[in-house]
Amino acid sequence: MKILAIALNTFKEAIRDRILYLLLFFASVCIIFSRLLALLTVGDRAKIITDVGLASLSLFGALMAIMIGTGLVYKEIDKRTLYTLLSKPIQRYQFLLGKYLGLLLTLFIMLALMTVIFLILILLHNYPVEGSFFIAILFIFMELCLITAVAMLFSCFSTPILSTLFSLAFYLIGHLSWGLETLVNKMPQGGVKTVARFFYLVIPDLENFNFKTEVVHHLPIPPKVFIYSSLYGLFYTVFILALAMIVFRRRDFI
Amino acid sequence: MRKGLLILLLVLSCGLFMGVKSIADKIPRSNIPGASLIYIPSGKYLKHATFGYSSLMADLVYIWAIQYYGDHNIAERYDHLDHIFSIIAELDPRYLDPYEVGAIIAVYEARDPYLAFKVLDRGLEKNPDQWIFPYQAGHYAAINLKDYDLARQYYKKTMAIEGAPAIAQRLYADAAYKGTDFRTAWENWLEVYQTSDDERIKKIAFNHMYQVRTAMDLAELKDAIEKYKKIKGSLPDNLDQLKSAGILDSIPKDLDERDYIYDPETGIVDSPLKWWKR
Amino acid sequence: MDTVLQIEDLHKSFKTGFIPKEKKILDGISLEVKAGEIFGYLGPNGAGKTTTLKCVLGLIFPDKGNIEIFGQSNLSMQAKEKIGFLPENPYFYDYLSATEFLSFYCDLTAAKKERKKTQITTLLRMVGLEHAANLQLRKFSRGMLQRIGLAQALINEPSLVFLDEPLGGLDPLGRKDIRDVIVRLKEEGKTVFLSSHILQDIEMICDRVAILVEGHVVNQGPLQDLVSEKVQVTEITISGIGSEDLGDLGERYSAQGDRVLLKVFEEEKIASVLQLILEKKGRVHSLIPRTETLEDLFVGAVRQK
Repeated sequence: MKILAIALNTFKEAIRDRILYLLLFFASVCIIFSRLLALLTVGDRAKIITDVGLASLSLFGALMAIMIGTGLVYKEIDKRTLYTLLSKPIQRYQFLLGKYLGLLLTLFIMLALMTVIFLILILLHNYPVEGSFFIAILFIFMELCLITAVAMLFSCFSTPILSTLFSLAFYLIGHLSWGLETLVNKMPQGGVKTVARFFYLVIPDLENFNFKTEVVHHLPIPPKVFIYSSLYGLFYTVFILALAMIVFRRRDFI
Repeated sequence: MRKGLLILLLVLSCGLFMGVKSIADKIPRSNIPGASLIYIPSGKYLKHATFGYSSLMADLVYIWAIQYYGDHNIAERYDHLDHIFSIIAELDPRYLDPYEVGAIIAVYEARDPYLAFKVLDRGLEKNPDQWIFPYQAGHYAAINLKDYDLARQYYKKTMAIEGAPAIAQRLYADAAYKGTDFRTAWENWLEVYQTSDDERIKKIAFNHMYQVRTAMDLAELKDAIEKYKKIKGSLPDNLDQLKSAGILDSIPKDLDERDYIYDPETGIVDSPLKWWKR
Repeated sequence: MDTVLQIEDLHKSFKTGFIPKEKKILDGISLEVKAGEIFGYLGPNGAGKTTTLKCVLGLIFPDKGNIEIFGQSNLSMQAKEKIGFLPENPYFYDYLSATEFLSFYCDLTAAKKERKKTQITTLLRMVGLEHAANLQLRKFSRGMLQRIGLAQALINEPSLVFLDEPLGGLDPLGRKDIRDVIVRLKEEGKTVFLSSHILQDIEMICDRVAILVEGHVVNQGPLQDLVSEKVQVTEITISGIGSEDLGDLGERYSAQGDRVLLKVFEEEKIASVLQLILEKKGRVHSLIPRTETLEDLFVGAVRQK
């Protein structure tokens, strides 16, 4: 399948990008450093190690997604490798989907590597490996799927530097949508409230995928939350990809 | 520039800055790194300013706080204890260690049990299922402050939480006794005695019951002797006179059915044996 | 003969600059390419040659106009199955080897999987890169990149091949090789659309040409029709004759040493010059009649604009 061919090619290219390994190195350093940090605390050491581990996976995963994602389409346009590709019998959307899936595969592998390092550290301390770890990591991956789509969207029409800034802004706004919610709830009924509420629903809410606190405190997560969060992620990602396809469809490659 | 000269410059500048740093480190600084944490306004919005990493931030602030309170050079470090631990509580309300440790620092280092109560109260408020917080507060009230009423209130709160240890009730009863609420003490020790399966605990309970009962009886007798003295003008010769004078309906005996010892010369009543020697 | 590529009234403008100002690049281009010919598309830099190509390939969307390839819309998948494209200064994924690269591109077409391997080997041999089959593209020289680009354009055995400046930056040997490949493509029955500004090569191999100047096609037709065979000037290199003797026979230019290059515009005067040399016992080193070259046509067309 053509999308698959492009995905594999993208994967081969992305996996060679040294920035991934630099970030992987930093993530490993953080995870291993948590051991030292845990020595400074009084009380529960497992919490510190788990917190740092999950935060590293989340943060460095997001950085990887943004740094590779923003160059994904831009590089092809800039280096003009795109010209020969698009003159072949493939549709533009197939190209985009292929690039997206290729990067997802890359991120999956990187996340898996970081998870292994994290688990090794947990096991070395003889702490139990909780099933909930994997759930939190799965949702971290889901968040990455969405962030990658956003980075790729910006990559379709903007330079890597601007795309990186926009993507980071998306990430930050995504964790702050509560602010708008509070504001909306305090508003008096009326037209402005409706408009504000509309904005609140459209703006991304990345806290949906954040189960780090629950995992660390062994709190139960109701299954409904899984289903709704997953669906939210799926639909929002599809929305962003559709936006990217629209932007890319009639673009002139001068 | 020649290579040798450059290397010399490199080594020299490195040595110099390392030396300067080791000297600078010895100069005591009033403001240690991270102390600006004190000025962060607390509030429920702080949690969201961490973009999803609030649990990790709580850890880092906690670890910082431990180092901060361990540094004896900073004189006024206890001024902001409540504030700093409230920040940790806002960031991760379910992180239990900081509440306990904050209270410990408050009681044993800052020597301010009321500060500890603030921290522990916050802990209970955010974690109503954790009996450890009112339990420890009760200890601090009873042992460090000797405020038995306060201790009683905390132990009562402890007892209300599911999973609280049985000893909480015993401590409650004891605090009641020490706070001279004999009624409550008696009722609770009786309950412990009746509900416990453990022989040792039953014995302890009975001893306490004896203690409470004795105290109650002795108080009653003392009161009666005072009345007698007022009416008759002198101390009674023995306890039965209290009955015949119409002051008491009956003369109480201790739980072992023994008489209380009365010394007619001094007018002091006492129990036949010490409650813990039974 | 069938028309394989038809462009009708193609218009395209771009908005450039901070305060968008519209710049018209293509102002009504119409041309036709017939089956089995090598079509040359000429023009100075900035005339719009590459823009035209990109419109044909669906990389740019024209403001107005109609483009058909083999009678179908140029954007349809069926049309794209039949074409191949080599862009100017091609750049490919460096980390792939030549074989991996061609294999990837093959996967994007409807080519059959069983034939893939043989197809790749054949193409590598055709462009002279069999020795570099497993070499990473990052290690390719400019000429090698041009060749692998050509191979990629031919991977799906297209009937119409678009080449944008395929001979740019090559040494004379490389240029000869590519020219030979292009001629061979014609012999195999393919049509070639060649966009270039290296006129000598166009002259050598193209059947029909179109000249593009500032967004307009100023001249279009078979090469031999456009360039007249009339002799315009004869260049005679002589020695041993003094300039006083030559008089007004022609324009004089000094060459090396005591040689003189004489440009004679009237045919009748050539006989007089030769007569003079015989009388004065001079020497004729060369005598070259020059007809109108494509260059002359080209320069003339540009100057007219």
